[in-house]
Amino acid sequence: MENIRQNTGVNSGTVQNQLIKIIEDITSDWDTGFSGQITGETRLMGDLAFESVDVVHLIVAIQERFGKHDIPFEDLVMENGRYVNDLQVSRIADFLKAHI
Amino acid sequence: MARTLLIALDGATFNVLNPLMEDGVMPFLKSFLENGTRGELLSTPNPLTPPAFTSMMTGRGPGHHGVYDFIRGEEKEKTIFFTLINARDVRCETIWSIASRNNKSITCLNFIAMYPPRPVKGHIVPGFVTSRNLKLNVYPPGLYDQLKVLSGFNVKDVSWDVDQGRKPLLGLAKEDCEEWIQYNIRKERQWFEITSHLMLTDPTDLTAVVFDGVDKLQHLVWRFLDPAYFPPNPSDWEIRVREICRDYFRRLDGFLSELVRIAGPDSRVFMASDHGFGPTHEIFYANAWLNQNGYLTWKEGTPEDQSDSLTAERLREHYETIDWDRTTAYVRTSSSNGIYIRTSTGPGKPGIPLSEYESFRARLVARLNEFRDPATGDRVVKKILTREEAFPGPYMSQAPDLTLVLRDNGFVSILNARSPLKPRPEVNGTHRHEGIFFASGKGIKKGLLAAPRSILDVAPTLLYSIGLPVPEDLEGSVATEIFKPEVFQEMPIRIGSPTLAPDNSRDQEKQATMTAAEQAQVMDRLKTLGYM
Repeated sequence: MENIRQNTGVNSGTVQNQLIKIIEDITSDWDTGFSGQITGETRLMGDLAFESVDVVHLIVAIQERFGKHDIPFEDLVMENGRYVNDLQVSRIADFLKAHI
Repeated sequence: MARTLLIALDGATFNVLNPLMEDGVMPFLKSFLENGTRGELLSTPNPLTPPAFTSMMTGRGPGHHGVYDFIRGEEKEKTIFFTLINARDVRCETIWSIASRNNKSITCLNFIAMYPPRPVKGHIVPGFVTSRNLKLNVYPPGLYDQLKVLSGFNVKDVSWDVDQGRKPLLGLAKEDCEEWIQYNIRKERQWFEITSHLMLTDPTDLTAVVFDGVDKLQHLVWRFLDPAYFPPNPSDWEIRVREICRDYFRRLDGFLSELVRIAGPDSRVFMASDHGFGPTHEIFYANAWLNQNGYLTWKEGTPEDQSDSLTAERLREHYETIDWDRTTAYVRTSSSNGIYIRTSTGPGKPGIPLSEYESFRARLVARLNEFRDPATGDRVVKKILTREEAFPGPYMSQAPDLTLVLRDNGFVSILNARSPLKPRPEVNGTHRHEGIFFASGKGIKKGLLAAPRSILDVAPTLLYSIGLPVPEDLEGSVATEIFKPEVFQEMPIRIGSPTLAPDNSRDQEKQATMTAAEQAQVMDRLKTLGYM
C-alpha cells in the first residue's frame, strides 16, 4: 500500500502558477487599482492592496489548495522576530516549494 | 422530529432584555417567553465568543475543541506568532457535521470559526470573514452568487468590517455614535434577510444564525442600556443615543418575530447567548502588574497606556515592547484573561525550567491573590483557575496556564501602566458567565423558569430536537426539563456513537503520515473486523 501522505502532484515549476491562480481567485472582485497580470514580481501589499487580514486568508487558501497544514508560515511572514512589511509572489512561491 | 431554529444572540443578558421587554421595546420576545421557557446559560470558564460559540456548536469544552481566543498564538523566542482562528482549529466535530452525516440538513450563519467551510448537507455562511474574502468562503460555492442578488444585499454589512470592529475598542466620538449603532442595525438586517431567504427557499432541518450586534452595543454603550447607569437628567444627545439603542433592539425583536413566523407553528425555536454581560468600572493592567512583580520586562521606552485601546493590528507592535529574554509570565491578549508561563526549551533558553513549573505557578497564584485595591484593601482578582481546572482535555496545553476572574468580571489590559489598577472614565460593558437560553414551540413547556444550564447542553438539545441520537462523548446533556413529558414518549432520548474527528482538523494531517508499519497494523485491524 502506498504511503497515504497526500501527494499534491506539484512540482517546482507549477507552484508559482498555482499560487498566482489562488491570488487571482481571491482578488478577482477587489478594487485594487492593479492592472495587468500577477507575476512573481507582484507585491501583495504594494500592488494588490492586501491588508494583514487578507494575508491570513491567503495562507488559509494556500493550505486548503495544497492540502498542507503544517507549513511554518511564520518563517515566511516574520524575519528576525518582526513581521515583514510586504510579500512578493515569487518569495511566497519559493517558500512553498521548499515546504511542499 | 421538529424543524429547529436556533437564534444566537451574542452577549444577550437578562439585565438588558428584561427592562426592554417591560418597557414594550421587545413585545415579541416577551410573548415568546410567556409561551415558552427561559433560563440562564452558563458560558465557558472564560466567557468569550470563540470558545463559547465553539462549545455551543460541539457540546465540548475548550480543552477538547481547542479554541480559546480570537487568535491562535505560538510562542517564539523573541515574539508571539499569531493568526486568526479558523475551522481547522476546531478539534471536535460540530453539530453541523453530525447532522449532515446523519442525513439532516443544516443552515449555519455568522458563526465564528466556520471558515473555510466544510461540506455539509445545507448552507454555511461564516462569520468573522472580511467582505473581500467572503465569496470564496461560503458553502455551497454557488451560494454567494445567490445571496448577492437579494434586494438590499451589501457584502460590507454582512461581513466582518475590521474598521467598524475596532470602534468598541478605540471608543467613539459622540458624533459617530449614532451612525455606528445604525451600522449594527443594518448588519442585523442583512443576516435576517439571508436567514429568511434560505428558510423560505431551501429550508433545512436545523437553521442557526448569530446576531452579534447585541454584544457590540453592550460593550460600547452599556450606560444607555442598563437603567442603573442612565443619568437621571440626560442631555438631548444621551436621550437620542438611548433611543437609537432601543431602536436596535426593537428592530431585532421584529427580526426574531418574523423568523419564528417563517419557522412555523410545528417548529421548535431556541435562543441562546454565548455569554452574558454586565458593567465594568476599572482596568486591571495585568502585564504591568507582572512587570512590577518581576515576571515580565518591558523594553526600554515602552510607553504607558492612555486609553486601554489595543486593537488586533497593534498586537504585533505590542509584542515587540516585551523583552522576551527576561519574561517568565505574560498575558497574551485581553480577551483571554489568561497568563501564560514561559517554560524553557533547553539550557540557556528563556523561561523557567519545566521542573519548577508547579511551584512557580503556585507562587504566582499566591501573589495575585495578595494583590489589593490600594484604596479599599479589597482583592482585585476574585478567582484564579489553573488550566487543569478550567480546560481539562487533550488540548489543555494550548490554554493559558492561569485564567483570571476579576472582581468586576472585566477583561484585563495587556498594556503598560504606572499603576496596575485604574478606574475607567465611564462604565463599559463586559462579559459575564450568565447568558440566556430560551425555547418555545412544538413540545416545549409554557412559562417555565428553568434552572441554569451549561452552554455544553445546547448541542445535545439541538441534536435531540432534530431527532438524532446524542453522541456519547458530548459533555453536556439534553435540557429535558424544557420539554413536555409526552415528547419523550414519542421520541425517547437516544445516546449514539461517539463523534468523529473533524476532517478539517490539524490532527488529520498527523493521521495522514502513518509509517508503513502503522499502515500494516491498520490493515490487519480492518481485516479482523471483517471490513476487508
